[in-house]
Amino acid sequence: MSLDTLLKKASVRSPWLFRINAGSCNGCDVELATTALIPRYDVERLGCHYTGSPRQADIVLVTGPVTVHMRDYVLRVWNEIPEPKVTVAVGICPISGGVFRDSYSIAGPLSRLVPVDVNVPGCPPRPQAIMEAVVLARSIWLKKLGLEG
Amino acid sequence: MSDILWALFHVCVFPGGLFALGFALFLKGLDRRIVARFQRRVGPPLIQPLLDIAKLLTKETLIPRTACKSMFMMAPVIGMTGMAACAAFIPVPGVFDGMYMMGDLLVLFYLLPVPAIAIMLGGSASSSPFGAIGFSREMLIMLSYELPLLMILLTVAMITGKATGIGTADFSLLNIVQYQIHHGQFGLNPLMIPAFIAYLMFLPGTMGVPPFDIAEAETEILEGPMLEYGGPLLALFQIGTAFKTFVVLSLGVIMFFPGCLGDFWLVNLFWFMAKCLILMFFSISLLRAVTGRLRIDQAMMFYFKIPAVLAFISLVLVMIV
Repeated sequence: MSLDTLLKKASVRSPWLFRINAGSCNGCDVELATTALIPRYDVERLGCHYTGSPRQADIVLVTGPVTVHMRDYVLRVWNEIPEPKVTVAVGICPISGGVFRDSYSIAGPLSRLVPVDVNVPGCPPRPQAIMEAVVLARSIWLKKLGLEG
Repeated sequence: MSDILWALFHVCVFPGGLFALGFALFLKGLDRRIVARFQRRVGPPLIQPLLDIAKLLTKETLIPRTACKSMFMMAPVIGMTGMAACAAFIPVPGVFDGMYMMGDLLVLFYLLPVPAIAIMLGGSASSSPFGAIGFSREMLIMLSYELPLLMILLTVAMITGKATGIGTADFSLLNIVQYQIHHGQFGLNPLMIPAFIAYLMFLPGTMGVPPFDIAEAETEILEGPMLEYGGPLLALFQIGTAFKTFVVLSLGVIMFFPGCLGDFWLVNLFWFMAKCLILMFFSISLLRAVTGRLRIDQAMMFYFKIPAVLAFISLVLVMIV
């Protein structure tokens, strides 16, 4: 195995997460920020770490239905994340708009703005589903690096 | 010629370079694991810091358009090389005597603020307002922990100088270690106990861990000076921090508890590493798991009120007795 492959294989074991709240009701954010970190689920055992800066992020978790007001900010922050990145839509809102889908103030769903790699449906999704999404995102990341997942 | 080769060996392999980096990354992995266990979590694997650095090396480097590019790229290099040089000066009791015999404690004192200065340079060069806030906070916390550190080092130098008959302070790490091996360790000397407690309080401040992670508060000012850093440049910062962990922990061990177990070098090496680990457990991991974050003014007042006074008490006691 070459050094390059070794680095790439090691790198997916250190996914740093970044959260974007695109007009969410905070339900999914609570699931992400607190429930996934509590002793019972502990997302850190996958090597995850929540960063405060989009420049250090590998996996970006978007919550909320992407309101018109938030659209430009979401795009701006999303573009600041260095490649290779994996986008995860958490909750039903960024996937389809959820209960807000016919609203005049919605610019979503998220897949209209940026390529989404993993969808986690639920309102809010279960912590197990979020962690499974992180594991899935890792294998997608490996594919983006040019290796088989 | 062979002198130069030996110096290179000390900087690149032991005790600086590979040994310091590997040991410090292991310590950091253990630290994350210990904190996770305190919170009844499983925690990341032990090699997680190494994986993080490998990951950062594969990412692309982004430089803000408004940043001062040359300084932005130089800052992590300055921080890393400063500390890598520092690590070569550390004598390991019973294994290695240190690179130079005269005044190396002073050299360490001058090199220790280099990572903090690198963080300040990087933060101010990044042109981000959070970087500017982080810059001022890092400078304030540095100014407050440098005073107790200077007094602690002076106390240690003073007691060694008085005892070995020089009369004035003796800033040679080798003499400090040799004196303690033959005449009892400073950590058990009642005159030096306030200074040791002050050093324990200095450690979390200089490593930027809670309750003193004020400059890089990620929930408050989004990592501050580190906000615009990502990819290989951030990896360099992390390597620099790893060297710094090694330097400050082993400085604490050789100033206060440098005792050896027998004559065999391998046993002494592991004993030294175990003592670093114990020091880290009490002054970094335990504190990090149980405390929140202080405000910058509270942290400054803490450093001026408690560790400075404790170190001063030791200094005066050593000068009188």
